[in-house]
Amino acid sequence: MSITLDQVTKQYQGNPVVNDVSLAVAEGEFFVLLGPSGSGKSTLLRAIAGLTEVDHGRITLFGRDVTQVSAREREVGFVFQNYALFRHMTVGENIEFALRVRREKAAERVRRRKELLELIGLAGMDDRLPSQLSGGQQQRVAVARALAHKPKVLLLDEPFGALDAKIREELRRTIRSVQRELGITTILVTHDQEEAFALGDRLGVMNLGRLLEAGRPTELYSRPATRFVATFLGAANLILRREARVPVDSGPPGGRHAVAMAARREQEVVAMLRPEEAELAPDRDSLMTSFLGYGHVEELQFTGALERLRVRMSAEGSAQDGASATTPPVWIDVTRTQPEQRAFPLSPGRLVAIGTRRIHVLPTPLSSFTVCAETREGADRLLGNHWLGELAARMQTRLTAQVEPGTGDHGEPPAPPAGVAVVAAGEGCPARVRRLLERGVTPVLVLPEDTEPPARVVVHFAGQVARRATLAMTASLLRHVPAEAVFLGILPSGSPERTRTAGVRQLLDVRSEAQAGHGLDVRTELRLGDRIEELLRELGSQPGQMLILGLPEPGLLPENFEALLTRSPGWPVLLA
Amino acid sequence: MAGLPASAADAGSRPGRGTASALLVRWLFIGLSLAFLVAVLLAPLAAVFATALGQGIDTYLASFEDPDTGAAIRLTLLTAAIVVPINTIFGICAAWAIAKFEFRGKAFLITLIDLPFAVSPIISGLVYVLLFGAQGWFGMWLQEHNIDVIFALPGIILATLFVTFPYVARELIPLMEQLGNDEEEAAITLGAGGLMTFVSVTLPKIRWGLIYGVILCNARAMGEFGAVSVVSGHIRGLTTTMPLHIEILYNEYAFVGAFAVASLLTLLAVITLVIKSIMEWQSSKATGH
Repeated sequence: MSITLDQVTKQYQGNPVVNDVSLAVAEGEFFVLLGPSGSGKSTLLRAIAGLTEVDHGRITLFGRDVTQVSAREREVGFVFQNYALFRHMTVGENIEFALRVRREKAAERVRRRKELLELIGLAGMDDRLPSQLSGGQQQRVAVARALAHKPKVLLLDEPFGALDAKIREELRRTIRSVQRELGITTILVTHDQEEAFALGDRLGVMNLGRLLEAGRPTELYSRPATRFVATFLGAANLILRREARVPVDSGPPGGRHAVAMAARREQEVVAMLRPEEAELAPDRDSLMTSFLGYGHVEELQFTGALERLRVRMSAEGSAQDGASATTPPVWIDVTRTQPEQRAFPLSPGRLVAIGTRRIHVLPTPLSSFTVCAETREGADRLLGNHWLGELAARMQTRLTAQVEPGTGDHGEPPAPPAGVAVVAAGEGCPARVRRLLERGVTPVLVLPEDTEPPARVVVHFAGQVARRATLAMTASLLRHVPAEAVFLGILPSGSPERTRTAGVRQLLDVRSEAQAGHGLDVRTELRLGDRIEELLRELGSQPGQMLILGLPEPGLLPENFEALLTRSPGWPVLLA
Repeated sequence: MAGLPASAADAGSRPGRGTASALLVRWLFIGLSLAFLVAVLLAPLAAVFATALGQGIDTYLASFEDPDTGAAIRLTLLTAAIVVPINTIFGICAAWAIAKFEFRGKAFLITLIDLPFAVSPIISGLVYVLLFGAQGWFGMWLQEHNIDVIFALPGIILATLFVTFPYVARELIPLMEQLGNDEEEAAITLGAGGLMTFVSVTLPKIRWGLIYGVILCNARAMGEFGAVSVVSGHIRGLTTTMPLHIEILYNEYAFVGAFAVASLLTLLAVITLVIKSIMEWQSSKATGH
C-alpha cells in the first residue's frame, strides 16, 4: 500500500472535521475523495500532505510513518484549487523551483522542465508569467510544478474548481493520461460526482468528516451501503418498505428479495431505486418488471436525451403501509429514454403503474423514526425535537408519530412501530421502553426534553458479547452524526490481570469487527469500576454526549441500567 | 412617452449629460477641487522652495555649511537608519502573525499597532520622559548607571520608534491577507524551508507594499517633530533633528537657513509620492489588470 491512513482525526474547536478515517490506497492507483463542501475531504488531503496537523491517528506513505514529518520532507506533489503559482516567477522558474530547492544542476533542471512542459502540452511557454496564461494553462503548470521533484504521491485539491466546463474536461483528460503515464499514486478531491466517476479507479465518499464508503465507481453506484452514498452518487429514490425480516446479522443481502423464509416478523427496510431503473406502464399487467405501486405523474421535464418525471405514489396498491394517516406522501423520480417515451407517451396527471428493474436494499438497520407517546402533546414535543428532526432529514427518512394510551387502556394494541421507536426520557421511561422491547421493537431511542446535538458517542455493551445487530445500528447512526465515537468497556475494579487482558482483547475484537463489517472506525477505552457509576460519570463529564447501549439479548433491558434512562439530564440513549 | 420629443425624454432621464447646466456644474466642481488643492497643498510647497532659493542658489547652499545644520542632518539620518530597519522587521513579523494565524488577542494586537496613530505625538514623547526622565520611574537607576536616555540619542530613537511603528505593519496586513497563504504552502510541499520560502516567495510577493511602508515609515521618522521635541531638549548641534532645527532657525529669523532645511524634507515627501506612483503602476502590471 502506498498511502495508508489509520484512524486519522482532526478537530477544530472540539468538532471533528475529519473523524476516524482509515484508508489504504494502492500503488499507482487513482483514488478520488468525493463529498459535499464541509465534509472534511480537503482537510484530509492537507493532512496527508502535512499542511494540516492531525490530532489523532497515523499516516503512512510507502511504509514510512510520516505523521510527525513536516510537509517539506514528505515528498508529495500538491496541486491547489487556485493554482498557487509563484506569480513573480516565469512558468519555467515555477517548474524548476523544487529542483532548485534540491540544488540540482542547471542542465538537469532545464532537461526536466522541458520534459514536464512537453508532458502537460505547454512546450515553449517557459518564459511566460502566470498572469499571461489562462486558468486551464495555469493549472497545467501547477501540475507540472508538483511533479518536478518526482514525488511518489500526487495530491490534487479540487483542481478544476475554478475552471469552466469545457476546459475542465480537457484538463481532466490530461491529468488522467499523465497519471497513467507516470503510474503515480494519486488522490484527487472533488465535490463533482461526474468528475469522480470519470477519473477514479476507486472512490471514497465522505460526509460529516467520516469516510462512509470506498470502492469501485460501478460498485458504489449500484450497491451503496449507506443512504448518503446512494443519494450523493447520482439520483436515487429511497423507499421504505416492509419485507419479511432481512437478516441483519449476515451482512448485505445479495439478491433482490431473496429473503430467508424463516422470517419472524415483518421488517422495514430502506430500498434504493435509481430513476433509470424504474419502469412506467399503463397498468400492472403491462409492466415487464416487478410491480412497485400505482402513482400519478406530477411533473414532467424534457431534458434532451432523457425525460424526467416525478410520480406521486398513491396509497392504495402501494408497497407502502397505507393504513397510517400520518404517512407523508412518497414521490418517485423516474427518467426515461427516448424509445421509452415514444412507446408510452405521458402527460401530467396520468395514473401509471410503476415497476422496478433493479432495486437495491440498503444494509442499514435504521429505516425510519416513529415517535411513541401516550398523549398527542407528548408526541408533538418529541416531534419538535430539533436534533431528531435534523437526524431524520439527514437520513432522508420518515419521522412519524404513534400515540398509544397508557397501560390503563385495555384496547387492542396497535401494530408495533417499524424502524426506530423514539420515546421521551424521564419518569416512566423504563416501563415504556420495556413495553416496546417486549413487542419486538428495536432499536429504541430515548430522548430527553432538551437534547443537544451530541459531539461524542459512547458505545457500551450491557451483555458479555457485542451483538452484530448493535454494531450495525451503531455504524448506521454514526454515519449521520458528526461526532467522535468510543467503545467503552468497563470491568469490575477488582478484576484480576487475566480478566483485564481478556477485556482489552474483546474490545479490540469489537473494533476490528466494526471496521471489517461496516467500515466504521471507532476508538476503544477500558475502565475499571462499577458499570453504571462509570457510565454515569462518563456521560456527566461533559455536555453533548450520547450513549448507545448494546442490549445483552434482543428485547432485554437489564434492571440496573434503568438509571441511565431516568437520571439523564440531556443525553440521548439508543438501545440497540 | 410616445408624445414627447425624443431629446426631451433623453435629457430628463439622464441628468448631467448633454445639457449646458450639467456641463457647468461639472467644471465648477473640478475647478473648485483644483483651486483648493493649489491653495492648500501646492502653494505652501512652492513657498518653501521660493523662500529657500529667494536670495540665490549660493546663499541656499551656504546655509548647509553651518555646522549645527550638518549635525541636525546627520542626527536625523542616524535616527532613521536605526528606526526604519527595526520597524521594518517588527512590521513584517506583526503582519505575518496577524495575516497568517488565528490566535487569541488578535484584535487587541491590531488595536495596539494602531495606538501611535491615535495618540498625540506630544504624549508619545512625554511617556518616555515619565519613564526615563530624572524624576521618572527608571530615572534614578539610569542615573546611577550613567546612562542618558532623555535629552540624548536613545530618547530620540525611542520616541521616533513609537510614532512610526504602525507604518510597515499597516501597509502589509491587508496585502498579506489578500494574497493568502497558498504560495507559501506550495513552496513548502515542494521542499523549501522557512527561510527560502520567505526570501523567494513571500518577499517578492509583498515587495511593493513593503517598499511603500518603509518609505512612509522613513518619511515620518525624519519628519517627526512633536514626540522628538519633548525628549530631545533642543541642544543645538547635539540633539536637534531636522524638524527641530528648522524651528530654531525660524525663531531666530534665519529664514533662508530654515527653508533650506525644510526644502530637504519637502523633497523627501515628493520622492515618497513618486515611489508610491511607481509602486501602484508596478503592482497593477503584476496582477495583469
